[in-house]
Order: sequence, then C-alpha cells, then structure tokens
Amino acid sequence: MSGARWHESLARLLVERGVAPGEARRLAEDSRDEARAAGVDPAELFGPAAAYAAGMARAARPAPLAALTRTRGPVVLRLTKVVKRYRRREVLRGVDLTLRAGEVAAVVGANGSGKSTLLDICAGAAKATSGLVERAASIGYAPQQHGVAPYLTPEEHFRLFGAVHGMGSRRAVATGTHLAAGLGWRPRAGAVAARLSGGTQQKLNVVLGELNRPELILLDEPYQGFDQDSYLDLWTQVYAWRDAGAGVLVVTHLLHDLDRVDHVLELKGTEDR
Amino acid sequence: MLWTIAGTSLRETGRRRAALILVIVLPLAFYAARSDMQGQAIRFLALGVGWAVATLALFSHVGARHLDRRLAVVGASPTALLLGRQLALVGMGLALAAGYFGLVAATQDVNRLWAVGLLLGTTVLIAAPLGAVVSLVLPRELEGALALLAVMATQMIADPEGALAKALPLWSTRELTGYAVDPVGSDHLRDGLAHFAVVALLCACAAWIAAVVRLQPQKLPEPRSA
Amino acid sequence: MRQQWLHGFLDLCLLCLLLERRDYGVGLTQRLAGSGFGDIPGGTLYPSLLRLEKQGLVRADWAASDVGPRRKYYELTGEGRDAAAERVAVWREFRDVMDRMASRAATAVEES
Repeated sequence: MSGARWHESLARLLVERGVAPGEARRLAEDSRDEARAAGVDPAELFGPAAAYAAGMARAARPAPLAALTRTRGPVVLRLTKVVKRYRRREVLRGVDLTLRAGEVAAVVGANGSGKSTLLDICAGAAKATSGLVERAASIGYAPQQHGVAPYLTPEEHFRLFGAVHGMGSRRAVATGTHLAAGLGWRPRAGAVAARLSGGTQQKLNVVLGELNRPELILLDEPYQGFDQDSYLDLWTQVYAWRDAGAGVLVVTHLLHDLDRVDHVLELKGTEDR
Repeated sequence: MLWTIAGTSLRETGRRRAALILVIVLPLAFYAARSDMQGQAIRFLALGVGWAVATLALFSHVGARHLDRRLAVVGASPTALLLGRQLALVGMGLALAAGYFGLVAATQDVNRLWAVGLLLGTTVLIAAPLGAVVSLVLPRELEGALALLAVMATQMIADPEGALAKALPLWSTRELTGYAVDPVGSDHLRDGLAHFAVVALLCACAAWIAAVVRLQPQKLPEPRSA
Repeated sequence: MRQQWLHGFLDLCLLCLLLERRDYGVGLTQRLAGSGFGDIPGGTLYPSLLRLEKQGLVRADWAASDVGPRRKYYELTGEGRDAAAERVAVWREFRDVMDRMASRAATAVEES
C-alpha cells in the first residue's frame, strides 16, 4: 500500500472506530508527517493501518472522568428468595441480592445455571415462581440474543427505542451515536443490522440498553464476535455507568476482573431434572 | 411512538424484497388462473390479496417478537406495538388492493365496480389482524404459514353455502364478490358486511389480547428504602 | 515474556525518558532500544504517547528542525512530572518486593 493510501485508510478506519472525523484527519496527518520525518514508509513505521487505527482509537478516546469517591445511592434492585421452577426443574433456588445505584453486580455460573432467566426476571420479561423482586422503574435491558432487528439500520433502532423513551428523533440518534463512539464504533448510514459484524451488532445491542440513561442496567454480557479490545471497552463502559450513578447487573461468562465488582452472585443450577 | 413503530415496521417489511415480490405476485397468479370467469377471478384475486397480506403480517409479527418484548420491558405499551405494526401492514395491504383494483377496472367490465374496491379493502382489514393472531398463537414462521395455508385453501374449496365456509374468516369476500359481479339484491352486501364486521372485530380483539398477554411485562414494585 | 512485560511498563518508560528531556517519536524509539529494551514498533509507541497526551501527562507540539522536516516533540506537563515521580516510587517498592522473592527462590534452588 502506498503511503498516501495508508494514511487515507487510517483516517477512514479511525472514524469507523468512533473517532470524531476532525480528530481522525488530524491524527492521519500527524502520522503522515511523522513517517515523512522518519523517512520511512508508514506501514513500516506503524504497522498495518487497521491494527494501528485500533490502537490509536483506543488511546484517543476521552479519558473517563477521574473516578470520584463513589457514592452508593438508593437500592435499585432487591431480590428476596427468588425461585424459578419450570415444571419439576428448579432453575433458581432462593436468590437474594441487594444492588444500589453506583454498584456493579456480576452474575456468574455454568451454562444452564439460570443466568439469563434471572436477568429476564429482573427485567420483568419472565415471572418468578416465588419470592420478591423490587426494582427501579427506569431500566435498560440488553439481552444476549435477538436484541436487534435484522432489517433496521442502527439509526432506525435509535429512533425506535428513543420514541419508547419519549426522546425526539434527532436527540435519540445523537445520543445513540455518541454512546456508540464510547464503544469504539461509528454507525454508518444505510447498513442494516443483519449486515453488521457480530461484534458490532452486540455494540448496537448494548447502546440500545443505555439510550435512556436508566437507573438500572441489565446486561447479558456479549461474547460471541467480541474481540479482546471490544471486551475491555465494554467493561470500561460498565464502570463508567456505575460511576455515573447507575446500578449495573451483568451476566458474565468470562471471569474478568471480578475483584472490581461490588457483588458476585454465583448461580449453581440444579441437577434434579 | 405509534407512528415511529408504524414507520420502522414499514421500512423493515419493505426491505424483505423476496417476500414483498411474492406478496405482489401471488394475487396476480390467482387472478390470471381464473380470468375466464369474472366472479371466480375476482374472488380468487381477493383471496390472494388476503393470503398475501396475512402472510406478510405473520412474518412481520414473528420477526419482531423478540424486539417487541425488549421494547415492552423498557416501557412500550403492547397495544401501541401491535397497533403500529398493524397500521403499517394495513397501509401496505391497501396499496396492494388499490393496485389490483386498478387492474380489475382496466381488464373487466364489472357490474358494480365500487364493490370490488370494497371487498378488496375488507379482505385486507381482516387479513392483517388474522396474520397477527396466527403469529401470536404459533410463534414460528413455518408453522404459521402452514396454518394460513390450511385456512385459505379450505376457504377456496369449501362449499360456499355450507356452515364450514361461513365459519372461515373470508366468507364475506365471497358474498361481496357475488354482489359486485352478479345482478343480486343488497342482502348479499348486508350479509357480507355483517360477517366482515364480526370477523374483523374478533381478529382484532384476539390479536390485542394475545399481544397484551405475551408482551405485558411483570409489574415490579419499586424497592422500599432501607 | 520480556515484550509482554514491557507492554505493561511502556507508559512508565516513556515518562522516565521524557523526564530526562523532551524528544520526538523516533528519538524515543532509539533511546528505548539503547536502554536494552529492543525495538519497540511504532504501532505500540504512538498509541501510548497519544494516551499520555489525552491523560494530560504529556504535551506535544510540532517543531521545525534545522536539518530536516518538522517533527512532533513530546514533553512532560507539570502533572506528567508528578505522575512520573509517583509511579517511579511505586515501581521501586514493587521491584524491591520482587527482588526479595526472587533471591529467596534463587537461594532455595542453590540449596536443593
């Protein structure tokens, strides 16, 4: 790839990764001058444009606000002896949890241990067999599967979810685009969700879950199609929500950084089926 | 919110090109197959429109099932979700009906042409909620499509005077076709419209109840402050 | 393994080098290599510099040079100097702990 083409594609890739167009252009110009000053080909100095864009986009993201002394707010979710039974099989056996605003709870457990069921119960999409679920009214909900419509573009998703939250169309799109940038993604106009990569669909899914700045975010951690960078971005985002005062319940599949979360809820599942 | 749901639903369905083309072509095939007999041609055309719109409604509601559940959980009313999608489907169905009304007007010399417009319209108004009902009872595309096939095929071959035909959703289409084509009295019009009103109301109510049962999230109390 | 460790310490290395004196990208690469760290690819170095810049620890500006094309020079801000001093102190503490552990292990190996 010739030098000029390398810098052009760097600028484009940076924008795709959520860097503002003006800054992307400036970074590409910097890289051009830097390569020129060093007297070498950009690919030789910086490596492949795609990898370099990924690294630069992560570094260029505005640093999260310095973590203030976190204040734990009111209770946003309280589960008391929650049981879920399907016919004779007990999926959840007396789950207790108190989650406050400004806290993160991680739900862990093997496949089939009822993690997603618990998330659905917290969302109100499924009914607990017994026990008490108390929950803040304003929630964001990002299920693991089928969270997006394959034939709609990201912008149409933002408008649709925005309308449900009583946001105007323009504000919904602006908010969605801004939140997407936080996950290292810039939605392109015209491409429907079915044509986005698996990882990007998951980012759309997550953005839709936080569009209304909810008090409680229920997230089934995406892992299919997520690369390591996207995964770290997601967790940075989880802590950003927490620091902004939301309560976050994350169903997690990989045991990442569990020492940083406030509560770990381990589901055992049951054998008697 | 209603209009946003209707608008997105319209675009979403519009992007399913292959399904859309089949929906447009199906009634034409039915019409052409019986074009030698005016009454049969118009009746089959209307049933084709009904089948196509019902199938489109089925696909639209089945495809949106998970998304609607997600929207309902964060505050969308199940009624608005159903109504928005139905608005889009009825809009598309009426556009299709208008096109075929033009075709009939251009190719046939019909006794009461306005009644052809009426029967195409009533067919669409039954078919859209009918597809929704099927989608809410049989939540998969294949099973739903087979159920619609069964209903429509029975409708086409059942003896129109028998009790079975009257129990099927599109009996009114046949009555109204008779009124449009043959020099018969207005009792056919009255019977057809009455049957239409009952069936449309039943389908709409069933679709609405099923949507509320399926989509309404659990009411969860706010946490007591402790 | 060395490369992996260095990855974690690259920010600290850069702060140290810049604490000595302001420098440009290629200059920093040469100094890192001169210190015995081997070649650091630009694809690793520049994102690190940009991150430090975004954190307000490093200030960058373009300067014309007498001999060649213009170059981007990096220097520490006041905050950067404080951060460098603080991180060096933390590193020393960490290194001492690691040293003690390593020498105990070395002794154990000799005795066995």
